[in-house]
Amino acid sequence: MQFVNIYLSMILLFAVGLSATPLLRHNLKLANIFAHGIATLGSLAAVLCASFIFVEGPQAFSIPVSLPFLEFSVRVDYLAAYFLAIIGIAGAAASIYAFDYGREYFGRRFMVMAELYLTFLLAMILVVTISHIFAFIVVWEVMSVASFLLVGQEYSRPANTKAAYLYLVMTHVGTAFITIAFLLLWKTSGSMDFAALTGWRGDEWTRNAIFICSLIGFGTKAGVIPVHIWLPKAHPAAPTHVSALMSGVMLKTAIYGMCRFYLEFLGTGPVWWGELILLLAIVSAVLGVLYAMMEHDIKSLLAYSSVENIGIILLGIGAGMVFMSRGLSSFAVLAWSAALFHVLNHAIFKSLLFFGAGAVVNATHTRDIEHHGGLIKAMPYTAIFFLAGAAAISALPPLNGFVSEWLIFQSLLILPEALSGVAGKLSAALLISLLGLTSALAAACFVKAFGVVFLAKPRSVSAAEAHEAPCLMLGSMGFLAIMCLGIGFIAPWLRVMLQSILIPFLSAEAVDNMVGAKWYLLGAQSGSAAGGLSLPLLGAVFVVGLVFAMALYRVCGCKNRLSGETWTCGIVPAARMEYTATGFSGPIRRAFGKILRPRTETVINRNISPYSGRRVIFEVHITHVFDELVYQPLNRYIVKLSRFMKEIQTGSVQLYVGYIMVVTIAVLIWSTRW
Amino acid sequence: MDVSFLYMVGQAILLAVLAPFIAGLIKKIKARLQNRRGPGIFQVYYDLHKLFLKDSVVSPTVSWIFSVAPFIYFAAALGAAALVPGLTSLMPEIGSRFVDLFMLLYLFVLGRFFLALASLDAGSSFGGMGGAREMFIAVLVEPAILLALLTVAFRTHSSGLTAMAGVGADESSALALIFAAAAFFIVLIAESSRIPVDNPDTHLELTMVHEGMVLEYSGRWLGMIVWATAIKELVLIILFSTFFLPWPIVGWSFSAKVVMLVGKILLCIAAITLVETVTNKMRLFKVPGFLAVAALLGLLAIVAQ
Repeated sequence: MQFVNIYLSMILLFAVGLSATPLLRHNLKLANIFAHGIATLGSLAAVLCASFIFVEGPQAFSIPVSLPFLEFSVRVDYLAAYFLAIIGIAGAAASIYAFDYGREYFGRRFMVMAELYLTFLLAMILVVTISHIFAFIVVWEVMSVASFLLVGQEYSRPANTKAAYLYLVMTHVGTAFITIAFLLLWKTSGSMDFAALTGWRGDEWTRNAIFICSLIGFGTKAGVIPVHIWLPKAHPAAPTHVSALMSGVMLKTAIYGMCRFYLEFLGTGPVWWGELILLLAIVSAVLGVLYAMMEHDIKSLLAYSSVENIGIILLGIGAGMVFMSRGLSSFAVLAWSAALFHVLNHAIFKSLLFFGAGAVVNATHTRDIEHHGGLIKAMPYTAIFFLAGAAAISALPPLNGFVSEWLIFQSLLILPEALSGVAGKLSAALLISLLGLTSALAAACFVKAFGVVFLAKPRSVSAAEAHEAPCLMLGSMGFLAIMCLGIGFIAPWLRVMLQSILIPFLSAEAVDNMVGAKWYLLGAQSGSAAGGLSLPLLGAVFVVGLVFAMALYRVCGCKNRLSGETWTCGIVPAARMEYTATGFSGPIRRAFGKILRPRTETVINRNISPYSGRRVIFEVHITHVFDELVYQPLNRYIVKLSRFMKEIQTGSVQLYVGYIMVVTIAVLIWSTRW
Repeated sequence: MDVSFLYMVGQAILLAVLAPFIAGLIKKIKARLQNRRGPGIFQVYYDLHKLFLKDSVVSPTVSWIFSVAPFIYFAAALGAAALVPGLTSLMPEIGSRFVDLFMLLYLFVLGRFFLALASLDAGSSFGGMGGAREMFIAVLVEPAILLALLTVAFRTHSSGLTAMAGVGADESSALALIFAAAAFFIVLIAESSRIPVDNPDTHLELTMVHEGMVLEYSGRWLGMIVWATAIKELVLIILFSTFFLPWPIVGWSFSAKVVMLVGKILLCIAAITLVETVTNKMRLFKVPGFLAVAALLGLLAIVAQ
């Protein structure tokens, strides 16, 4: 079986789906099954392609297209295959989820959504496999526009259209920078094929320019602070399965772009490249999770937590680049593999959390967690899957998030080897402690999210009437929850795989091949003399503890259990007495007040009842620093510029003819001089 | 797995048995310092015995999270007791290479995560308030505890606890050691819910942090939580004694090492009780400043190294 055949049949599958789905528009049920069935099969085909690469080695082929500049050349190396596998896994889960979830959209432009969903999925698959500059930019743009239209799916809400247009503007700014970076590459190397760009060496200025442009371009797509503003608005607005793919996978295509540029095209650069990325990374991580903590729209909370996780991934990439520029290639492998591992983990648990959130929103018809509560009783399976995702994203051992954060911690711990002196030590210590702060905040954030949504009594009528999600939605959540549990334990194998991805780029020796002899150990450094992480050991210790606790409970304890209402100082407990999300995040809001700058609004109405009635409306708004510092002044400047332009745009035809005259004369004068 | 796993389990059980004694000792010394006679030093064992024989009162509002959380909290504390370089650091030949600093710290996070969830489960504002404050203090503690421990970890270039215990508290950089020890001591007080950050003896509204969080628990579950908290405190004290109290124990005879470790633990207990006696509970929003001092001391230690 040739790779070309599998790949092209995958494309063909999507093409059939895209062209045949509109024919079924009179039977929405059938269209739903057909479109999402094709999407599932296509995603599985992507996984098949990726596993083919890992078995048979990198593949490339090219099909000439009779268009100028355009060539359909595909090259799937290990790096591309890894991202392809992530897209396939998350895409398959999202498509299975969409069988049930899509029914919500019957009669609400379902056909458009299904078509766009297929386009979006296909475009993401093409982005990571295409190896031609022009074709890459085209599919990148298709991916952006398809996701923009999906964000605007529910266009009747003004907030959604606003988010969609903000996304469109930001993503085009990003695409512009990516295009500049690619054009610079093309101009200096003379080739549009990725393979010819490998090991390209330009002069220092061009390299720096390409670095900055690609960082801004891909950073915008990845949602790195300060160019993140579209992300927390756009991701929640899209339908849930698309939100999950946008947060879990589309951001990763930007990480893929960064890997391509910094590992392959640019290669080893000056130290400040890595340092700049580390700085952006830690700002994104800390601010992202702080804003997530303050959110009580469940989907916005998850979107902000994506900003945090992109920050964690970039910490690994930044450390890897610092090691590369110092020639410490085995450390670079560690840092880069930590980043790539977190890419996979985030794709899994973020998709899972979005699916859970979507099920909750479907059941309660509100995204505000202050109106949820008590859902663990109505939706027991959703609750347990969401809990698995929340525990994984809070880096609780022994789930997958813990393993990749541990690897990131390890790569930061050896950062002083590359950055010598007190400054290096100090910056490594600050990065580690701020990463610790980030993960503690993430734990607090997801205690809040899970506790307020699922525990205690229902806080609203709609939450009290909630019902469990349909079985296919639960199935795809359960699949991802099992992956959250399992991936930590197969980490040593994955680590070997990640090394095989990275070693061609970093010309490093294989660090650890502990498969076989020490299957239970995930070593950090070469030879792993200094120790490592053994998840089975941790699991065993924990299980022994659990068994001990159970034995204690069963054997020694008194078995009587009485039912008694929650103690509320003698009043009958009600849902209004529960601790709210706003209250839960209160101490943190106050302690980080310098960054968050909360503004409170309290409205007290005393005219409800002459005896005791008093209605208090309390609201807290936080200020987003970068909105105020960067985007609002920029916005004002653009509006001012537009006002100035309005002066010239009078609408009078004579004046326009005059403009044309002036320009023509100017061009004539200019052309005669040469 | 190798034989060190069995030693680790043995150490966990030993520490679990000893932990209530240490908690009782702290209570006793504190009482003596306040001119009270105080309860006997075995009082915590009697309390645990009593709690295990009592009926549990459970609110009808709660879900399975409430009944699972004490087990996870207890197992996490016991796991931390297995990983801490106590006995295993006394006998380097059995010290496992696979115990890791982040493993230990994140076991604490695991236990706290579930206990905080359980505090929201019963639907009372007392529990929620306690849980919110506990997570808040945990957020502030995390950077400080990492900075303090990094002074040791940077010297071994790894976060392996056995390797760290090997170089822990050698006197090559006394100034750094003093700063780091001060930083970790502040963290120790905050993590074990003691005055001036929290008050372990009461759950009044003003001091409502850890005790507020577990307010809804009773009977066996409360017994497990009390016990696990004692284990957690002992683990932190051992960490402090191994890494930050000077006089390295490498190369001593086994019995001398044990005496040394016990001496260090007693010293640490004395310091904790002294602080509890001479300071007042501070306002909740003064705690960030208090822990920022710890973080700054940790940074100073790294600079001074």
